[in-house]
Amino acid sequence: MALYKLKEFHAPKNMQEAINILGKSQEAEILVLAGGTFLHGLEARGLLSDVEELVDIRKAGLDAIRDDDRGLLIGATVTFSQIQTLPSVQRTPWLAGLSDALAYPPVQIRNTATIGGCVSASCPFFDVPTALLALGATVMVKGGEAGERQLALPDFLAGLFVNSLEPGELVTAVAIPKCPGNGASAFIKLEGNANDLAIVNAAAYLSVDSQKTCTEAYVALGGGVAETAVLSDAARQILIGSKLDAATLQTASEAVTADISPMSDHRASAEYRGAVAKVIVRRTLERAIARLA
Amino acid sequence: MKKMLTLEVNGDVHELAVELDATLLRVLRDQIGLNGPKKGCDSGGCGCCTVHVDGKAVYSCVCYAHSFDGVKVTTAEGLSSGEELHPIQAAFVDAGAVQCGYCTCGMMMAAKQLLDECPRPDEEQIRHGISGNLCRCTGYAKIVDAVKLASERS
Amino acid sequence: MSQLNVVGQSLERPDAYDKVTGGKGYPVNVKLPGMLHAKMLRSPYAHARIVSIDASRAERLPGVKAVLLPKDVPQIKFCPVFFVPVQAPSMVLDFDVMNGERVRYVGQPVAAVAAITADIAEAAIDLIDVEYEELPAVFTPEEAMAEGAPQLHDEAPNNIAKTPFFEYGDLEKGFAEADFIFEGTYETQRVHTCYLEPRVCVVDMDRQDNVTIHVTTQHLFGTREKLAFALGIPETKVKVVKSPYIGGGFGGKLELTAMEPVAALLSKKCGRPVRLEQTRQEDFITTTRNPIKVYLKTGVKKDGTFTARYAKSILDCGAHATHGSEVIMVHGAFGLFFNYHAPHQKWEGYTVYTNNMIGGGYRGYGAPQGSFAVESQIDEICTKLNLDPIAMRLQNARKQGEPHPFNPAFTLATYGLADCLREGAAKIGWEKARRRDKGSSGAKKRGIGLAVHPVWVSGCMGFPDIYEHSGAIVKINRDGTADLATASMDIGSGQIATLTQIAAEALGLPAGAVRMSSAGDTDNLPFDAPTHASRVTYSSGNAVKEAALSAKKRLLEVAGSMLEVSPADLEVSDGKVSVRGTPSKTLSVAEIAQRAESPFVQMTAQGPQPTVMEEKGTIIGLSSLAPKSNPTPCAAQFVEVEVDTETGEVAVLHAVYAHDIGRAINPKAAEGQVEGGFQQGMGYALMEHIQFDPETGSCLTTDFLDYKMPTAVEMPRKIDSIFIETDEPTGPFGAKSLGECCVITPAPAIANAIHDAIGVRFTQLPITPEKILRGLGKI
Repeated sequence: MALYKLKEFHAPKNMQEAINILGKSQEAEILVLAGGTFLHGLEARGLLSDVEELVDIRKAGLDAIRDDDRGLLIGATVTFSQIQTLPSVQRTPWLAGLSDALAYPPVQIRNTATIGGCVSASCPFFDVPTALLALGATVMVKGGEAGERQLALPDFLAGLFVNSLEPGELVTAVAIPKCPGNGASAFIKLEGNANDLAIVNAAAYLSVDSQKTCTEAYVALGGGVAETAVLSDAARQILIGSKLDAATLQTASEAVTADISPMSDHRASAEYRGAVAKVIVRRTLERAIARLA
Repeated sequence: MKKMLTLEVNGDVHELAVELDATLLRVLRDQIGLNGPKKGCDSGGCGCCTVHVDGKAVYSCVCYAHSFDGVKVTTAEGLSSGEELHPIQAAFVDAGAVQCGYCTCGMMMAAKQLLDECPRPDEEQIRHGISGNLCRCTGYAKIVDAVKLASERS
Repeated sequence: MSQLNVVGQSLERPDAYDKVTGGKGYPVNVKLPGMLHAKMLRSPYAHARIVSIDASRAERLPGVKAVLLPKDVPQIKFCPVFFVPVQAPSMVLDFDVMNGERVRYVGQPVAAVAAITADIAEAAIDLIDVEYEELPAVFTPEEAMAEGAPQLHDEAPNNIAKTPFFEYGDLEKGFAEADFIFEGTYETQRVHTCYLEPRVCVVDMDRQDNVTIHVTTQHLFGTREKLAFALGIPETKVKVVKSPYIGGGFGGKLELTAMEPVAALLSKKCGRPVRLEQTRQEDFITTTRNPIKVYLKTGVKKDGTFTARYAKSILDCGAHATHGSEVIMVHGAFGLFFNYHAPHQKWEGYTVYTNNMIGGGYRGYGAPQGSFAVESQIDEICTKLNLDPIAMRLQNARKQGEPHPFNPAFTLATYGLADCLREGAAKIGWEKARRRDKGSSGAKKRGIGLAVHPVWVSGCMGFPDIYEHSGAIVKINRDGTADLATASMDIGSGQIATLTQIAAEALGLPAGAVRMSSAGDTDNLPFDAPTHASRVTYSSGNAVKEAALSAKKRLLEVAGSMLEVSPADLEVSDGKVSVRGTPSKTLSVAEIAQRAESPFVQMTAQGPQPTVMEEKGTIIGLSSLAPKSNPTPCAAQFVEVEVDTETGEVAVLHAVYAHDIGRAINPKAAEGQVEGGFQQGMGYALMEHIQFDPETGSCLTTDFLDYKMPTAVEMPRKIDSIFIETDEPTGPFGAKSLGECCVITPAPAIANAIHDAIGVRFTQLPITPEKILRGLGKI
């Protein structure tokens, strides 16, 4: 399926040039291209036939990574493979959930897909957004009328394949705040085969104090449990202040039902997604706990 | 609509006028005339089109060619220099990993990425390393053997 | 059997070098000067009348060279299946290339365009305006057979395309004699062969109707016959070029579709070659394995002996019968009732039209659907009656030396089922594993299961209307090598390796000395039936052996003349001809071939010398013959699985196969066949499923994101292949066949292992995680 109406293929050399192109072309059907793996899926289904301009931002200088006491700031065009090589992602328990999620796709996707493209797609079946939700990630946005904005990931993921970007806006980076204290995260995906979108996935971040009491908890779910990947506040409330014993984990896992509304499609029914979501969440919590110091 | 594009493919520099929406796979097959990268699904699902871009394995069927202006591309044809087979190619032959052969070139490029990063992979690493490449003939058993063999020989 | 030198060796496959260095030999690579590109417009409706087609906008698009509409296509009905005559009386003759009046499934071609690029052709088909009048559609065979259902073909009342049946003994008496009666309904789904090289053709058709075609096909001569018929031209006007190999087939490239005649007619219109390559989406809706629902009722004695078996099979053939009229036969015969003895049996089959996509051939050809029913139900019987699943099967199985169940003229001369079961069971540790704890604590439970395929084929002798003969040409070269030419296609399963090894063995040449010719076409190659039905090693192998022996006979005549001995006193080994008992009198094959092809009068120091006239002429052997039989291979399969009772995921941990294949010509290639067969069978058991929107009938699984097949990660870490070599007397060097048993057994073996693990019986494929959780009562 070709892009019959495509007239321009922009490859801006810096961020400002990219923003200028987006600003000027507000009337045209314009699409930002980062890794491009998702766009091709859309193109193959004939969903991009109106696109007139592509803006490939891979050379726009959005590939910097800051890894310090404040946490991680990952440029929009950093690929999954590049994130996997970061020492903090490889070694620190609080980022282990991100590492888990990045390891699922095949190498060809990891080498191509970018963090900015991945969140912008707002696809509920992706893995990395679920992991980022549990880590409290923020999306950095430039351009458009606002000039610059920071959006918490739950606010950025507006709906099924819909993000919160305004015309002219561009995702420049994703920030993951450093979690204080003794924290650990984990991610698990249920998939049909090893090269699949998630049927259900879950990520958890937990931190504990010196008494092993849970001081912070985020539980995120994706894979068609809702129109976007979502956080479960119900599970969070049960976990915080608990000793993270087996019974609490069970209760918290079952509580996610309140925060999801699974969909049915040819891959799985809503009933199945709802049932395994609880199992996957419990296993994810167990995996995160095992990583706590 | 076309635009100029420069690619270094298996050591040769090509300057080409390429359609704006052409994929890297299409340029490699239809304009440069290579057979190694193959079209199996044209949607990033089978891995037959796998090539290396600046040393990294990608699905060339989901890459817009114009995103890759100036890169170095290696295909299965570029694995060996001269008449000697590359150790991965030789291992695929010796292990009996080639049946219909349509997945083979992409599979070898995925294997090369794995062995570049991890010269002594265990079986799980091998299986995950080729999880983005489908094969319908072999059940992967002899492909896994081939990657092991290539690892042992190098 | 005398000492074998080349057969039985795991030699390097001759085609492997080319395939690892790029792979030149696939039809997808063929490019001809001036070639145009074509695309087909397909129906968006499952059932509609075509009111009008207006292609004027498409014709005006720059770069478009021709538009093909139904009125340009001969409106002829025929059977497009390659291995039967195009108007075979036993088949349903309902297929047409481009019907101008009616569409019967989503994806039916209604028009096509040739343009200077594929993009322009694709843009142009969007500009063809078709007015449809939608008709009520029907998507299940049960609804299609019901009163008042939309009728899809005038000649098929109640949408029943074919109703074969057979009966012997007295069914009522048999059931009356039974101590127990078991009944069940077993359903299988629509799956795709998933060959990785898409269907593609490049066709050049001139204005005198001479056609040359390069195409992804499992059968050169079938392509010629059906394409000529579809075009309404004499068969010899069509030349089908043999590609060195194709990128997989598995039965999925075993019939003519619209692609070939459409490209041909566009080529004729334009006066230029036309290439038509299907997208993966198009391939997914071109052919499939037919879904079959089987009702199976079995009467057994307390000790497990069958007294009576009754089955009714309903096959959804989709919009046209094509393979569906033969698949149902093979299903009834080799899937259900030839496998075991029962004194009283009756079967009814129904091939039923629906507005689904057309079915097709796929490895096993009806047997996987039957075997899933039979082998699952035997396991149910064993569980209920506390019988040993191995003993129960052997008790009812046929025995070596018995008449073949299908054709009493043949006997089961070699039949190693008992050995297969014994050796396979030993390999997986059956006795111990059956008795162990399933893992009572924890979410994961392990189980072990088995299934056998007791009676399979090495070709198609005995069925009406099916081609089965093969031919070969063997030519000995002056350097002592030989060239082999056959029309048998290598679709990945190793025909080049096995046939050249058979030829080398028969000729007495060393390994590697026989080369499969990479050139040839239907003009100059002898007829061969398709690469299908587990037939090539046996049937084509016999033809190759015969041609090689014929060349060898001539070789020995020349050598006898040169050595002044009788050819009967000569033997050939490792490329040398020697006088039996006098090893010093030796000539190399090269010397003999050189003598045969040297000039008659040769200049020597003594002047011109005439040589021996009788020694002259290229040493060549030809054959074209039907095999003497179609001996029965059989297989036993064991699997161990682990079921996650919380998510429903099933991991296959270990698979063991034991096959009686007569002899393994190239054991490593044979193992590769078996391992690949398990991937397909496991996908069938657990995940693969072509699904449609139940309202519109459009396909939901059109790429590998939605159609899931096992990757290297899901496959078992261990697949053991045991070959029982029974040395079939009619086979080339004792060989029978291998191609399909390995695909038939995995689904029931896995279902039986899942039952062993969690105590739940699944009778609908695929056994998805969701079905497991439902079976466990968790959702």
